[in-house]
Amino acid sequence: MTTVIEVQDLVKTFGRTRALDGLDLSVDEGEVHGFLGPNGSGKSTTIRVLLGMLRRRSGHATVFGRDPWRDAVTIHRDVAYVPGDVSLWPNLSGGETIDFLTRLRGGADAGLRASLLKDFDLDPKKKGRSYSKGNRQKVALVAAFARPARLYIFDEPTSGLDPVMESVFRAHVERVQQGGATVLLSSHILSEVEQLCDRVTIVRAGKAVETGTLREMRHLTRTSFRVATGARLADVQKLAGVHDARAEADALVFDADTTAVNDVLAALTKAGVSSLTVSPPSLEDLFLRHYGDTIDAEPAA
Amino acid sequence: MVRILLQQIRRDRLTLPIWILGTVALLAVSATAVATEFGDADGRRTVLSLALATPALLALRGIPNGDSLGSTVHFQSFAFLAVTIGLMNTFLATRHGRADEEKGRRELVAATPAFRLSPPIATLLLGLIANGLFVVVAKAGYEAAGLDASGALLSAVALGVTGLAFLGISMLAGELTATSRGANGIGVVVVLASYAFRAAGDALGTPDIAKLTLQPAWPSWLSPIGWGQQTLAFTDDNWAPVAWIAVLAVVTATVALIVHSRRELGASLLPERAGRATARAALRSPFALAWWLQSSALLAWTVGSALLGVALGSLVTAISGSDLGDTPAVAQILQSLGHTQGDLGRALIPALMTMVGVLAAAAGVQAVLRMRDEESDGRAETVLTTPHSRAVWLLSFTAVGAASVVVVLLATGLAAVAGFAALGEADDGWLSLGQGLAQGPAALTFVGLAAVLMALLPRAAVALSWGIFAVGVGIGLFGGLLGLDDDVQKISPFANVPALPSDDWVPTILIGAIALVLGAIAALLFRRRDLVT
Repeated sequence: MTTVIEVQDLVKTFGRTRALDGLDLSVDEGEVHGFLGPNGSGKSTTIRVLLGMLRRRSGHATVFGRDPWRDAVTIHRDVAYVPGDVSLWPNLSGGETIDFLTRLRGGADAGLRASLLKDFDLDPKKKGRSYSKGNRQKVALVAAFARPARLYIFDEPTSGLDPVMESVFRAHVERVQQGGATVLLSSHILSEVEQLCDRVTIVRAGKAVETGTLREMRHLTRTSFRVATGARLADVQKLAGVHDARAEADALVFDADTTAVNDVLAALTKAGVSSLTVSPPSLEDLFLRHYGDTIDAEPAA
Repeated sequence: MVRILLQQIRRDRLTLPIWILGTVALLAVSATAVATEFGDADGRRTVLSLALATPALLALRGIPNGDSLGSTVHFQSFAFLAVTIGLMNTFLATRHGRADEEKGRRELVAATPAFRLSPPIATLLLGLIANGLFVVVAKAGYEAAGLDASGALLSAVALGVTGLAFLGISMLAGELTATSRGANGIGVVVVLASYAFRAAGDALGTPDIAKLTLQPAWPSWLSPIGWGQQTLAFTDDNWAPVAWIAVLAVVTATVALIVHSRRELGASLLPERAGRATARAALRSPFALAWWLQSSALLAWTVGSALLGVALGSLVTAISGSDLGDTPAVAQILQSLGHTQGDLGRALIPALMTMVGVLAAAAGVQAVLRMRDEESDGRAETVLTTPHSRAVWLLSFTAVGAASVVVVLLATGLAAVAGFAALGEADDGWLSLGQGLAQGPAALTFVGLAAVLMALLPRAAVALSWGIFAVGVGIGLFGGLLGLDDDVQKISPFANVPALPSDDWVPTILIGAIALVLGAIAALLFRRRDLVT
């Protein structure tokens, strides 16, 4: 499998701030890659380096094996991009903007354009200045999807969309992925990444802190239990790998390390179980582990 | 309501004083200039008789009414000041009216227990305060220039009331359209049309040379500015027109309030025009975008400068035929402005064409600096992530800037050809066209410079470009009058434009080459920096 985006030890500074501080990122051909991090963690900066808008200070970055600063125009032939904060020309209608942007890339597929307008429920006759944030985003999304590309880059694409439109967006991402395209999708919305992405890179303060499939990452987190059982709180607390155990109305609630799940289940069955809810770790947990250190801290017992 | 008014005053605490003091400064400068430049009553009579014989001057200025100092000032400046004060009121009405509504700020106010009419009434009060202040300061300005008090009061009040009429009209415009851009557009068009109608009426009027006055033709009676001129301040002191204008102000403001009280938030009388569903076939390149973004502004530049070109014919012919050239001071000013020693009519052509060159350069610089807006708003990023290089993008806007320069110069030159031909002076027409095109390279250097600044110092580019432009124009046009050394004057490209006919084209060619090199440097430099918002 070829690598479409390869970033190693990328550094970008603005004055004294180190926006990117040795970031690594690798996106394989045909995958939907989630680029996850809180605001200000360097997601947009990375994307803008990859598009040749910003010049890296040091480190290595290639897109389709080319230098994004030197070969920007060549790379852009195969890229469709939707910025995080879409700004439209106030006097151009949405339809005009879509046509203009797709023509700059070689022209839209007319059928695709029409069906996208319908899917995203967008009125192409309104002037750019009168669109809401969500509708501006839709204009940019239609422009990006209306001409097939090898690489799609979306910077927080659904931040202004409602849940119905989010699902339309997901459907189109899946469609282009089935066509063999690669997608890089930055987000701080966990459910979006969870539903769409094959692999995820988590960034914090300009560094990649974790990368891999969601399955791999779940090794690193805990499983949440809510169980009505004959076992006593004190017994459960004694088990290795059990954290934050507490008693709530008729049930014990605790988290368990993935490695400890087997032992915990065995102990519970022994004591008798009348109801059991087990939740997989959500990406919220991943985030909390990396950005919410206080929650992660063990009680000093 | 008081709170809303106080908040509006706070928002405008810089804007309105700048408008008011700026307009009064214009008035004071004009009054002083009349006092010093035209000399005594004899001098003024010469100038006014010349004006009465020159429709172009009447159109530009207004109707003379006698040779007193005050009435000459009124003739020179009333229409201009009325336009300035009209624009102040237009922007005031929209800023606190439709713009608030469009941006959603009005919704916040409307959700409070404030009455629905409170914001527009507060805006009216703000307008009364602003125009009242203007009247006080303007009267003081006239009196400081030594004009008599009763005429000063009438002229100042006429201006203030005209301002209120435009406030009412613009508030009505804000009820008509759903966008602040549309409201400002209607307001500005009404102000400019009021000036244009009276310009046409005054130019076509019947002069009375003995009394040094003019009976304007009917178009002037369609314009509140035309009414204001009829006060004949400083001679007849006729207060009736002030009442007519006040009635217009009251009627328009009342209709605006009635419509406002009956319509929903965000609604407008005129439906918003829908845009095109698909783009024109031509909109397919960065150049097409740059051209489209500049097109409406360029149309305005072209029409304005073409009108100037047409007027040139009657102006030059009138001045050549007058005995104004016998006044050495005037001759010297014109020769200095035109960088020539020739006779007066001939000196006038390069002098006025230099100003056209300045206008052309401004149009070009404006087109280039549009890039900065595109970049800081993030639209440049959207275009530059398609397979079009930065050099192509920058050169597209720069080329549109250069094209703007050429279009403005050509339009003025060709209009001058037509204007002179109508007077049977075709040769002077062609001379004007040539003199206009000779400004091209000088104007283009400012376009090139703006492009380089945009490529090199994006955040400072707008301020620096206009700053350098202002200095260059100042030195080039007025350097001689200010007594600057010849070598210092030559720093400005405009000071190097030869007065036709000339056989020394080396500086012009060199300046043209500099402009080209600047464009190329800009394209190279822009490849080397980050995009900055």
